[in-house]
Amino acid sequence: MTAADPVIEIEDAYTAYEGADRPTLQGITLSIRRGEFVVVGGPNGAGKTTLLETINGMLPITHGRVCVCGYNVKGDGVPVRCRVGYLLQNFSFDPLTPFTVGEVVMMGRYGKIGLFRKPGPEDREAVFRSLTLLGISDLVDRPIGQLSGGQQQKVLLAQNLARNPEILLLDEPFSNLDIFSREAINRLLSRLAGEGVTVVLVSHAFDDLPDRPVRVVVMMDGRIVLDRESAPGSVAAVIRGASGIHA
Amino acid sequence: MLEFIIQNNIVCHAVEAMLFASVACAILGVIITQIQISSIGFTMAHAAFAGAAFGMFLSLNATLCAIAGGVLVAFLIGPLSDKARVSPDTALGLLFGISMAIAIFFIAYMQTLGRGFSAMGLLFGDVVSLYREEVYLLAVICIVAILFVAVLYKEICGIIFNKKIAESVGIRVRPIYYAMLFVIALTVALCLPIIGGLLLYVWLVTPAAIALQFCYRLSSMFIMAPVVAAAISVSGALAGLEYALPVAPLTAVLFSLVFVVAVALSPKRRVTFRKS
Repeated sequence: MTAADPVIEIEDAYTAYEGADRPTLQGITLSIRRGEFVVVGGPNGAGKTTLLETINGMLPITHGRVCVCGYNVKGDGVPVRCRVGYLLQNFSFDPLTPFTVGEVVMMGRYGKIGLFRKPGPEDREAVFRSLTLLGISDLVDRPIGQLSGGQQQKVLLAQNLARNPEILLLDEPFSNLDIFSREAINRLLSRLAGEGVTVVLVSHAFDDLPDRPVRVVVMMDGRIVLDRESAPGSVAAVIRGASGIHA
Repeated sequence: MLEFIIQNNIVCHAVEAMLFASVACAILGVIITQIQISSIGFTMAHAAFAGAAFGMFLSLNATLCAIAGGVLVAFLIGPLSDKARVSPDTALGLLFGISMAIAIFFIAYMQTLGRGFSAMGLLFGDVVSLYREEVYLLAVICIVAILFVAVLYKEICGIIFNKKIAESVGIRVRPIYYAMLFVIALTVALCLPIIGGLLLYVWLVTPAAIALQFCYRLSSMFIMAPVVAAAISVSGALAGLEYALPVAPLTAVLFSLVFVVAVALSPKRRVTFRKS
């Protein structure tokens, strides 16, 4: 597969939650190439998180077709999720949760390792590498429930990086982070995109986007209303304009 | 199995049964408490109780009917909450109510027929009148519970940590979760005759709650909970039989006492920092 080949192909996809009177995603068609950096914006309830969960197959589509890394997510959701990192928007961990940071990051590799097999040296190496990338290797033996929200967010990002994903789906990855961490993670994401990892980012904070042109997708009422390239400094204005929101 | 230590057959069977039941319940109890599905265990225990009461009424094998009751509830929770558009908590409440109603109906009806005593054994447990085959069956379910956790340890860890994250990393959450419910239902049903439907919950929840007071890792909880449960259950069985006290209720009281002591001694609630 070359860089020009799409790694995410969505054709006329509809998704509906059970009991809802209308689909959450309506006729979405989107093609994303390897190494692209895509920012998804739009007002609350526009369907941004639903789009991410449709891409990794956690939400089934009711109509259309979604192909990710060459797999049809309808029948091959598990192999897709082994190749796609997904950072959830909302999480909270009980302070007594009996898992250390190292164990949580290792969980990112469980799908790749497969049933009935134990993590090996390669998996431990991947965990160490991702902890180091995020500058949290000193937290490896700390219980995750005792960390701050920002530290927990970094741990979950490390969990996703540990499986060397081809695609990273990030839902509000900066919500708990301080300004220094935001800058560091943006540099990291930019570097990963340069290495061929496709990044799809849902965010409301556009101050610290990587210093490179990004593709902006704006959603409203479950539909894509704008899809174009933009300079990082203009992303907020582009999204506001397409959403009909004026400062 | 333990005849070389305990010569009296009745005491030996009681101790063996309590040992195997407590280890199986404690191991699965760690999963139940950590996924926070205690109410599922509670409802299953009562569904198994209802199944056994129904089986006794029809003179069928009570253990098989208890298994059927527990498994039925395990597989009804999801569809009931989906189809009836109620929360899993409400679905459990409904199933618990139905289970209790069925159990009480058959117990009351059997009492009017003069067959009440055998059904009462299901409420409070009976470790004295056990057959060797029942003890073997408990040993098997104990091994099944240990193997289940050992073989699927990493997947269970993922599900316990966060079901949605587990699914997003590529773990096949649904089949493993249902297998988990099946093993819990099987264990609950087999432990019912010796512990009793009303007390089974203590064996499922308390050992894990005690272990949580001291363990920072799930792996240590899976070791500490069954060890503590086995020690308390065997002590309870020996003391109960020695002093002619009801074994399961006595052991349940011991569990609660140990839990209180564990909370008092827990390092997790201690503040160690002192300003110099």
